[in-house]
Amino acid sequence: MTQTYLPGARGQLTSGGVIIAAGSILAAILVLLGLVYAAGTGARHQAALAAAGCEPGLSPSGLQCTTVQMLTSQYMAVATPVTQQLAADVAGYNASEMHSVAAARAALTAEVVSENSLDTGLAAITFPPAMTSVASALMRDDVALAKLTAEQARSTSLTRMRSFNRRVQAASATVQAEMKLIHKDL
Amino acid sequence: MARSTVGSRTLNDLPAEGPQLQRRTAKSRVDEWMEVDFKFGGSRIKRKALALVLLGIPGLAPLFFMTPALFTLNSSTFSVSVDDTLGTGAEICLFLCLLVSPMVTITGQHWFVPLRRWYGIMMGCCAIGDATAASITDNFAGGVFGRLAGHVFELMGFFMVMLVLPLLATGNPWAQRKLGKYWKRLHRLIYVIWGLLAAHLMFLEGFGFQSGSDGSGFAGDGDPVFHQRFYQYSVCSLFLLLLRLPPVKRWIAARQKEGRNWLVYVTIAPIFALFVFGFIFVINEEIFKGMDSFTEHPSAE
Repeated sequence: MTQTYLPGARGQLTSGGVIIAAGSILAAILVLLGLVYAAGTGARHQAALAAAGCEPGLSPSGLQCTTVQMLTSQYMAVATPVTQQLAADVAGYNASEMHSVAAARAALTAEVVSENSLDTGLAAITFPPAMTSVASALMRDDVALAKLTAEQARSTSLTRMRSFNRRVQAASATVQAEMKLIHKDL
Repeated sequence: MARSTVGSRTLNDLPAEGPQLQRRTAKSRVDEWMEVDFKFGGSRIKRKALALVLLGIPGLAPLFFMTPALFTLNSSTFSVSVDDTLGTGAEICLFLCLLVSPMVTITGQHWFVPLRRWYGIMMGCCAIGDATAASITDNFAGGVFGRLAGHVFELMGFFMVMLVLPLLATGNPWAQRKLGKYWKRLHRLIYVIWGLLAAHLMFLEGFGFQSGSDGSGFAGDGDPVFHQRFYQYSVCSLFLLLLRLPPVKRWIAARQKEGRNWLVYVTIAPIFALFVFGFIFVINEEIFKGMDSFTEHPSAE
């Protein structure tokens, strides 16, 4: 045991004391560095906004300007899972369109849900003026696609259901083209 | 070996049960105050019970944030933000669980010790929820196992969840009685989980921080360093680790015995301040991502 307590030598250096003192000094330095770093937050934030093409002075008071990076992040958060889900739903429909009305209808119903969630997700994003028209067109065409898919899902026979295929594919291609445009703009 | 002495006495002069046990059995004034009942409605409740409920409620927050997405089966929210909401929630609960022992060492109070078990359980629930959702909704290739352990950081997380399972299963008085002396050894796995969390975050975030549009720690608010999860973990862990070291605990006990608690507080203040500094940003992350998850507009930042 290295620790000793002698009369009249209160608080002398022990291994525990050395460890805690070293830790305390290190922590104090880190806290000070953190505070110094925090003091530059505003300038770094404005520099980040300016670098992202977002003029800080034009941001409404209390609202942060949406940088391209933030917009991309928001858009991808909506589009990626929906695209994946739609791919699975379409594969499900393709697998059942020839032999099972119930399975095909279930796949189409799932497609409608995915298409509606894309619309809801996009509506929550504030697009910059340059992208508003493409985003609006995408939302409008996505709603049309969801309506058409819902109508297809209501078909009572497989033949009737398949008769929608071409129109749905065309509507889907339009939506995909608009999504590509947004990707490109981002 | 050097002979230990306290003042002019040797340790052999102290009562048979030893100073540690004496300190453990002695109730602090706050402990006694917490044991007092108060009237609430028609019943009597201990102050301690109310305080524990209030301090324990935040442990439910991560799971609460995910409930709307669970009820609506919103795969988008799960896919994008469950890792952040439940993963960060598990980290917070782990830190709060680990915070209990250092607080007992510093304050000598024991009334809040039940929070250790509560936050341990909530950490387990969050970690399991995170892993379950990731195994279903993540985009990584390789099926369920690929989504759980396809990357090194995920593998670390997977190990953590595997280790948390026996702790969760035995985190009750019955298991404690049945396992006897082995219970404590088993539950020291929490330290392995703590270490694996370091590896998990290290492989996830790396050692650097965001510069321009690259690197870890989203710089949207101009503070990428504070948002780097491995840094947050490190500064929080310094306090939790130092206050667990036996020499440090002995030093604190000796100062308290001398009646110089102020020296303990002064020495520990910067380390605790650093803990709070790091922990605030972990909580900020949880609230920010959690609210986005709750409103089902997940943030991938």
